[in-house]
Amino acid sequence: MTRMTRFRWGMLAPVLAITGVAVGFPLGYAFYLSLTDYRLTSRGAPDVVGLENYFFVLTDPRMWNAFSNTATYVIIAVALQTLLGLAIALALQKQQWARDLTRAMLLAPMFITPIAVGLTFRFLLNDQLGALPAMLRSLGIDYDFFGPGNALFTLALMDVWQWTPFMVLLLLAGLESVPRQPLEAAKVDGASAWYAFRRVVLPLLTPVLTVAVLLRSLDALKVFEYVYATTRGGPGTETETIQYFTYQTGIQFFRLGEASAVAFVLLAIVLTLIVLLFRRLQRSAAR
Amino acid sequence: MTRRVSPWGIARTLLLWAAAVTVAFPIIWVALASFKSPAQLNDPGLFLFSPNLDNWARVFEAGILDAAGRSAFVAAVTVSISVVAGSMGAYAISAYKAGGSATRFGILAAQVLPPAVLVFPFLTMAYALRIDNTYVPIIFAHLSFVLPVITWFLIGFFDAVPRSLEEQARVDGFSRFAAFRLVVIPQVLPGIGAAAIFGFTLSWNDMFYGLILAPTRETILPVAIAAFNTFRGVELGAMSAAIIIAVVPVVIASFFIQRRLVQGISGGAVKF
Amino acid sequence: MAEVRFNKVRKQYGSTVIVDDVDIDFPDGSLTVLVGPSGCGKSTSLRMLAGLEEISGGEITIDGRVVNGLEPKDRDVAMVFQNYALYPHLSVLENIAFPLRATRSPRSDALARAQEVADSLGLGALTSRKPKDLSGGQQQRVAIGRAIIRQPSVFLFDEPLSNLDAKLRVETRFELMQIQRRLGITAVYVTHDQEEAMTMSDRMVVMRDGRVAQSGRPDEIYARPNSVFVATFVGSPKMNVITGTISDGDFRSSGGSRIRAAGVTTRDSVILGVRPDDLVLSPTDSASARVALIELLGPRAIVHVDSGDDRLTSVVDAAGLSQLSVGTPVDLAVRATAAHLFDPITEARLSDQ
Repeated sequence: MTRMTRFRWGMLAPVLAITGVAVGFPLGYAFYLSLTDYRLTSRGAPDVVGLENYFFVLTDPRMWNAFSNTATYVIIAVALQTLLGLAIALALQKQQWARDLTRAMLLAPMFITPIAVGLTFRFLLNDQLGALPAMLRSLGIDYDFFGPGNALFTLALMDVWQWTPFMVLLLLAGLESVPRQPLEAAKVDGASAWYAFRRVVLPLLTPVLTVAVLLRSLDALKVFEYVYATTRGGPGTETETIQYFTYQTGIQFFRLGEASAVAFVLLAIVLTLIVLLFRRLQRSAAR
Repeated sequence: MTRRVSPWGIARTLLLWAAAVTVAFPIIWVALASFKSPAQLNDPGLFLFSPNLDNWARVFEAGILDAAGRSAFVAAVTVSISVVAGSMGAYAISAYKAGGSATRFGILAAQVLPPAVLVFPFLTMAYALRIDNTYVPIIFAHLSFVLPVITWFLIGFFDAVPRSLEEQARVDGFSRFAAFRLVVIPQVLPGIGAAAIFGFTLSWNDMFYGLILAPTRETILPVAIAAFNTFRGVELGAMSAAIIIAVVPVVIASFFIQRRLVQGISGGAVKF
Repeated sequence: MAEVRFNKVRKQYGSTVIVDDVDIDFPDGSLTVLVGPSGCGKSTSLRMLAGLEEISGGEITIDGRVVNGLEPKDRDVAMVFQNYALYPHLSVLENIAFPLRATRSPRSDALARAQEVADSLGLGALTSRKPKDLSGGQQQRVAIGRAIIRQPSVFLFDEPLSNLDAKLRVETRFELMQIQRRLGITAVYVTHDQEEAMTMSDRMVVMRDGRVAQSGRPDEIYARPNSVFVATFVGSPKMNVITGTISDGDFRSSGGSRIRAAGVTTRDSVILGVRPDDLVLSPTDSASARVALIELLGPRAIVHVDSGDDRLTSVVDAAGLSQLSVGTPVDLAVRATAAHLFDPITEARLSDQ
């Protein structure tokens, strides 16, 4: 082994060791758990039941319900964030007055602990105590934010409130790295602002946009705190998301084997998204 | 010379004001609620009232500062370990292409791994080691995402350091590691600072692991806040005070790192 | 004080050979310039000597000691990089003193020593500045100061002047030479600029495709290039090179030019090399060659001549220029004993005339 190889692996060793302990081992152990009938309550050693948990959860309508809720949630939240994020980023790009303060303030929500966001909105949107329903009532509108048919959308709006800033942050960086010449050339050529945006800015922004959308989607898939803080899965199972469903199965019903199986199904989806993201990142890094 | 006001300009200003109000309103409302009495809390439209500190006294009695201290301790330990290991690893990956793209991929994958996958092994191990309901397993759990995030974050910063600095230091009489420590690290200190603050907020903000690994004793701050939601009904005033305690430090800290966040989050793929 | 030797030194990545069994001697106290077009292996050779690249084969010795396995820090060399590689977080004084930190000399001694070096380089007033607040030339001096403070056995320079503007480059060139002479430390200097190589070096090593094309004193190489490559690489403007035959002191190119080359032996097929300074133009009405372009360079001019299918250049002084204008028919001749002859197949130098 040459000195360089030794140095290279020596520098990487701490990360690999800690990742091995904190990620690799639990990951392997979780897979083992997903193949057993492990229950938190039972004393003896668990039995290996093979793929039984997977068969069980894959045929469990509650899991599919959780998946479809999560998918709906992610799509609504990320789509709204992208549109709003792009609009705000474009507006902020031109903003001169109190520039840094405006930006810092508009980006603040993404640093707040999600449970605080959840509880705040639970309170703010509460039928009796909340400020927003009270205002709406004074306008003659009666809207139950956590009622049937509305709750999942409300959760998605909370995600929009907290995470649109993330989109703004990345898109603003993307916009500011767009070279000026093509834009000026388009202006000289007499192109309208809309045309220049669509034909010049948007194509240059696509890589950042893709990265931002994928990162947000991956993160939104993990939604837990909002559900825990507000609806606890209700009304019925309308807002039961995967992470919440896993939590319930594992912690409230003590069925760790099944819960781990659900988590691995989720992992399969996440990995697919990560491969997409990684390809995109490598390509944009290569440019 | 008069400035022409275009419809786009007006739309832009309106949008930014709307966004600012949307962001600020919930926070201000909660901050006000933390000074309201239970009776005042029942009136959602109340903005002018005589403030009292009962809620704050109540959360301090309930040990919110202990929870905040534990959260800070967990975050500080997690971040310290992550910054040391992460900066070494990130440099090896950036400058020496260590581990190839498999390592880069692994690091990206590790930071977005759903916590639902890892939490049960942490729980069973904590039971086995009789450290359940303490914050020790939370540190391990937080390392599982803070370390990959910080490593990823720093790769982009190391990419911007010219290789010749390390080479120059080696010719000047230093070992590779000494060159890394004395010459390369000072170039990325702002990035390391941003990564540390970012990692701190990630750890500070996480509730999922804390809720499962230490739900009742040695609770960390987000779990303690959530407890006001269930314990003896909802204590809105106290909960509001607790929320403000959790939110203020990280939001202030975040102001200092925003310019460097982009480069870090995208692993250097998007630059300012 | 050290003699450096490359013995069959080789560098390859996979099957790509960058440096191919190179032998070079760098005599004690000399300033040797490695010169060649980009990709010729000159920088890689320097980096192998510094210890920044591993050596794939052969041996490098410094004062008889094989250094192949040694880290850069154990080789007692100092290096100036093309971009100077100044430490941005350190002041000028700390930059210069930095190598002394490795020797664990007390900080106050190191800084005092650095102050002396800074003074000797005219940086005395700038010692508390950061590198980003210096001009290119000042940064360059700091890099040199950092290289000389430790009194290394060998100085290494990797294109140290290429980031400077033309005027500063010429000034710094001489300053560097003076410092090297004064300290008497063996120096290896890499550049792609043949003029820099010619003016600076005691010894010059011309490299091409990972091999040494020719080495020797710069005036020797200029006077007797051993191949067409070296002949055209060294010297400015570039040497004229044409293929043809010689009989009775007359050269006829395959392109139809005719050049008088008195005293040159008859040969069937040969490459004739003529430096522009040695190509004499005489205006003659009956001549077939024509002046195509005149580039004025103050007292002298480069005259381009179309002769048959060949385009030749000649350097003409002011006196000769008065008779020439674009379109003037000229006869061509090589100044006596100034013709270079090369084998048309191997492109190697043929025994003289």
